[in-house]
Amino acid sequence: MLQIIFDSLSLGSLYALGALGIALIFGVMRLVNFAHGDVIAFCIFALLWPSTDAMAIVFAGQLPWYLLVPLVLIVGAGLSVLCEITVFRHFRRANPATMMIASFALGFVIRYFLLMLFTSRPKSISLLPMLSQPVEIFGARLPLLQLITIVATVFILIGLSLFLRRTRFGLEMRAAAENFSMARMLGVRANRVIMGAFALSGALAGAIALIFGSQTGTADIQMGASIMLMAFIATVIGGLGSLAGAVLAGFLLGAASVVMQVMLPVDARPFRDAFVYGAVILVLLLRPQGLIAARGTKERV
Amino acid sequence: MTITNAPALAPALTAARKPPRFALARRTVITPVLLSLVILAIAVLTVMTGSKPFNQAMIDVFLRVTLVVGLYIFIGNSGVLSFGHIGFTCLGAYAAAWLTINPMMKKASLPGLPGWLLEARLPYWQSAALAALFAGLVALVFGRVLMRLSGIAASIATFAVLAMINTVYSNWQDVTGATSSVVGIPIVRTLWPYAIVAVIAIFVAWAHAISRSGLALRAARDEPTAAAASGIDIPRERLVAFTISGAVMGLGGALMAHSIGVVTPDTFYLGLTFITLSMLVVGGMSSLSGAVLGVVILSALIQVLRWLEAGVAFGATTFALPKGLQEIALGVIMIVILANRPAGLIGNREITLFRRNRNK
Amino acid sequence: MTLLNLVNVSVRYGRLTAVRDVSIDLKEGQILFITGPNGAGKSSLLRAIAGVTPTAGGHIEFDGAEITGRAPEDIARLGFSMVPEGREVFGSLTIEENLLVGAGMHSRTAGAKGRTASDLASVYDTFPILKERRHQQAGLLSGGQQQMLVIGRALMTRPRLIAIDEPSLGLAPNITDQVYERLVALQSERKLTLLIVEQSSARAVMVGGRMILMRSGGVVLDGDARTLGNSEAVQAAYFGYEEQ
Repeated sequence: MLQIIFDSLSLGSLYALGALGIALIFGVMRLVNFAHGDVIAFCIFALLWPSTDAMAIVFAGQLPWYLLVPLVLIVGAGLSVLCEITVFRHFRRANPATMMIASFALGFVIRYFLLMLFTSRPKSISLLPMLSQPVEIFGARLPLLQLITIVATVFILIGLSLFLRRTRFGLEMRAAAENFSMARMLGVRANRVIMGAFALSGALAGAIALIFGSQTGTADIQMGASIMLMAFIATVIGGLGSLAGAVLAGFLLGAASVVMQVMLPVDARPFRDAFVYGAVILVLLLRPQGLIAARGTKERV
Repeated sequence: MTITNAPALAPALTAARKPPRFALARRTVITPVLLSLVILAIAVLTVMTGSKPFNQAMIDVFLRVTLVVGLYIFIGNSGVLSFGHIGFTCLGAYAAAWLTINPMMKKASLPGLPGWLLEARLPYWQSAALAALFAGLVALVFGRVLMRLSGIAASIATFAVLAMINTVYSNWQDVTGATSSVVGIPIVRTLWPYAIVAVIAIFVAWAHAISRSGLALRAARDEPTAAAASGIDIPRERLVAFTISGAVMGLGGALMAHSIGVVTPDTFYLGLTFITLSMLVVGGMSSLSGAVLGVVILSALIQVLRWLEAGVAFGATTFALPKGLQEIALGVIMIVILANRPAGLIGNREITLFRRNRNK
Repeated sequence: MTLLNLVNVSVRYGRLTAVRDVSIDLKEGQILFITGPNGAGKSSLLRAIAGVTPTAGGHIEFDGAEITGRAPEDIARLGFSMVPEGREVFGSLTIEENLLVGAGMHSRTAGAKGRTASDLASVYDTFPILKERRHQQAGLLSGGQQQMLVIGRALMTRPRLIAIDEPSLGLAPNITDQVYERLVALQSERKLTLLIVEQSSARAVMVGGRMILMRSGGVVLDGDARTLGNSEAVQAAYFGYEEQ
């Protein structure tokens, strides 16, 4: 039982962090950023030397954790800001569909850039190996990593919410997310806020890369995509643009996946994801505006 | 050939009780005719060159035309972005596999099929028609539920449909062979069936666009409030478009199966979804001509980049792009096109022969 | 001294021309009402000045600097504060946070903290109700209170000119009276320039100042509000007889 709770929480953490990264950017510029998953993949590969071998040649991965973690976060933030400056800045007045496709094209570019350097073979890496030992809590044996994932996510969420509530920049971001043009009319600098959102989102991508990379012990170009699909769905059923909704929906999806894995009859288990997606459709039908409808994101029919 | 600025297919729906349907048809039929001529011209040229790889490349182009036109029928007319349509292509492809593979092979690889399917062995054109019907039916069922949604919620719900279909087909060992390839589908190597199917798709799209339902749907896309107020049942009209486009996607899927002879669930997943959507958006999301041109232009681009990657001789030196640069260049070019033409290359216009008087 | 100067400004949405060759110069400290029937182009003009809607022609100067085509935030930073139609409070932010967003553009200058605090105190002085409810979500305020909040928010930017689009929209007449009372008081206390868009000319006649009447995208009348009053020309402009 405890095992189920921890499994759902740690899976939900990944989805929630992913959904946050998408919701932050959607909030300020109505962009559904499909490149986010590839930013995640990039973060992990940034730690490896380009090579085609199955065993990765790690160069930065051997850094002590107090250097490694900030490095990955900075790589994520930097790449994400770079995407904004080189690509998304040119799409300020475009419609959401066009922006979505542009973000997909950008993700494509990042992915094939990685493929060119590393080939499509997943590579085994050992990131933060000390985290894979099990620990005993309330009689359940849990990998230390799972615990750290959950704790780290909680810290990130608290930190982010303090940042948004207590700082000038956070205030401007919340104002801009609700009504961008009004915020600008009050002197809020559009480009600065958008870049800030991209930086935060990129740092979150870095965090996911670290967690996922240490959990699976592999660096895989596809790794971003699998989380992104769920995170993307979480963003929408949470109420596009609502950060709290994205987090909530992320954890719900994590829980739904784990619980269905356990509860479904054995024959139906391989089809678990189909049931999860079915549940998603159901939620959308009941609450098309999302669990927590964000203000200022009213959509036309 | 000129491009008129008139949204030739979108005259006011409110014009009259009894729209002069034939007049409208006569006025707009030039667009599908021209587009079909482009397709047929490409086909004739290809057959004349007699090159096998080129033949195969053009088969791919015609398949994509079918798929992107299928997407256009729903996305272009309703304005709702759908990520789910490749799911219907998947259904069509597997239906074609079930109906055409040698029963002996089927009994070994797909023992879970019902008896009548196990025994079936149809010619490819019959199986393609049935596959389209099947995909259309499934689209109808999903659409009944989904078409109540709109905007991004609808897009995500279609995404969920795609993921659902993919999950089921990736795991249903006895019926779909799970993730392993289903082989033994009769391969059709001549170009003509593919060209004809692309032309059929274009005419279906046109006929739907000028039908009462298509006109109502586009009116609802541009002026949702006014359309609802004048009695248009938006979910119903969307459902019609969703079903038709689902059938066209299924038809495309069936032919795709016959073009390569092998199907796997992941052939019909995110990659194909995005490449077809990109073609539609790059060409111009709300225009039939845009759908076709998007395919032709992006496919040509991909082909040129492939040649460059393979190496081009300039005199004594061979110049070749590093591997993987093809896709990167494609992505960059797409971004540049979209940044400069956010509504796609030809916007919402249609190709016609003459510059037409707008108030006609 | 001219604070805001429009020369032949036009605004277009696709084929539709909303504002056609409008020229206005507004002196510092003036109150200017722009009135006119629905669809006259008043709001479009205001949004064009604020930089939210692109202009299709002409140019705009604020305090001697060309602002045509500049970003809304740059225009705001020069001292042009816009209160758009429908008020547009940040509903999920508290009242105090709403006000603080307006103070952002000065937060990098020396002594910013103290100045923000005193600006906040002075807004609360002007609108005591905002102080009372300062930690509540702005979305929960009544229409009149929201109108006061957005005026207060505009004041926090330390503007030289406040442009308000239909402050009376959706408010009961006695609340509208209160809003105008404060506006006029602020204008004389702080030597503010006011640019107010209203559909009806009645309010302009009551408050006084300069009045410009727009119709179909162009300026029809320009003069002293009280003199123009309910003259026949005004009636004609509203009801659409074109005087030849």
